[in-house]
Amino acid sequence: MTYFCLLVDETAESIRFLLKDWRRLLQAFERELLTLLPRLRRFARALARDAADADDVVQVALERALKARDQWAPGTRLDSWMMRIVRNCWIDEMRSRARRARTFVPEEEGLTVGSGAHREVEIRAEMHAVDKAMNSLSPEQREVIALVLVEGLAYREAADLLDIPIGTLTSRLTRGRQALAQMLEAA
Amino acid sequence: MAIDDDMLMAFADGELDQIGRARVERAIAGDPDLRARLEQQQRLRATLAAHYGPAIDEEVPEHLRAMLATNVVAFAPTRRARQPWQTFAALAASLVVGLALGRTVLTPAGGPIGVENGALIARGPLADALETQLASAQAPQSATRIGLSFAAADGRLCRTFEGASISGLACRADSGWQLMMTAAGAGGARPDYRQAGGANPLVAQAAQELMAGEALDADAERRARDSGWRRSGASR
Repeated sequence: MTYFCLLVDETAESIRFLLKDWRRLLQAFERELLTLLPRLRRFARALARDAADADDVVQVALERALKARDQWAPGTRLDSWMMRIVRNCWIDEMRSRARRARTFVPEEEGLTVGSGAHREVEIRAEMHAVDKAMNSLSPEQREVIALVLVEGLAYREAADLLDIPIGTLTSRLTRGRQALAQMLEAA
Repeated sequence: MAIDDDMLMAFADGELDQIGRARVERAIAGDPDLRARLEQQQRLRATLAAHYGPAIDEEVPEHLRAMLATNVVAFAPTRRARQPWQTFAALAASLVVGLALGRTVLTPAGGPIGVENGALIARGPLADALETQLASAQAPQSATRIGLSFAAADGRLCRTFEGASISGLACRADSGWQLMMTAAGAGGARPDYRQAGGANPLVAQAAQELMAGEALDADAERRARDSGWRRSGASR
């Protein structure tokens, strides 16, 4: 009986230990996200139209990641998991922007399309040549350029992250690159 | 043989194997046009790096950092007065878990972990690996792989390890190797995702936090083992 009580006591102690450990793991998730933030911002900036848009995408991605933390398997790479979320948030954002544009522009056409177009031209003129060139790529080309040329992922990693065959990745990469090189060398 | 754009691109991205690299290098040497195309690729890489690279060094906006900081606080332990039923529930729970543990972990022939004075202690082959295996000289087929060996701030020597079912971080106490943290093992993890210091980033992080100074190199690791993993009083 004494032995049994001892056992219970020790077990309670080790459970406390494990719980503490678990709490530490949870905090480690946030800490690791924190160290990933600069990289995620760079990645988002290569995707999004400008720096402000990029940070909005990162913010939405963080919200999503914190909610979906259970879906991340500890021991797998958090950076790949997180970059996939950032990329998905960017796609969603572009889609909803396109939807908004379709819904609202016709109603305002008579009044604002002139100044709106003018504003768009201004924004484009202010933009850096690299941003401009990246923006003119298709989303499919932009994301592979961002992953491989900006983030330095290996082809295999980038293809896995985007769930595309490696041949698709390299052909998008080749075309995106040619387009970028043409625009930037001409500028 | 002609070098096409795909191959040139793969060369610029460091994706070719040794034979492919040699072939491109040879072709470039005798073909100024090809060289010019490669340089264009490299210029593009440099332009992108120069444009997006500085984002890494920028200060992260407070509102983004705060999203993670508040969550850390939210998970901090909260102390509340315990209700009597909670004590009872905890006792009952630990009884159940205790019985389960007793059947699995604590059986003499049993698993890699035992309990001693309220601390988790490595047992059996895991303890042997921690005690004797050198990271610099371990057989590829050994069940447990040692990652880093290092001295903690309190002077204890600690090691990260990785097995099929469990990985973690253990420090040498008087009674044996005390497990400071444990995580899932490598299991079916893809070997190309393995990182230095153990496949599990949580283990690497825990080691990072505990470590005072640098990890032991091969010589220091051997000396530490030969002296029975005694606390490193003046090793730094």
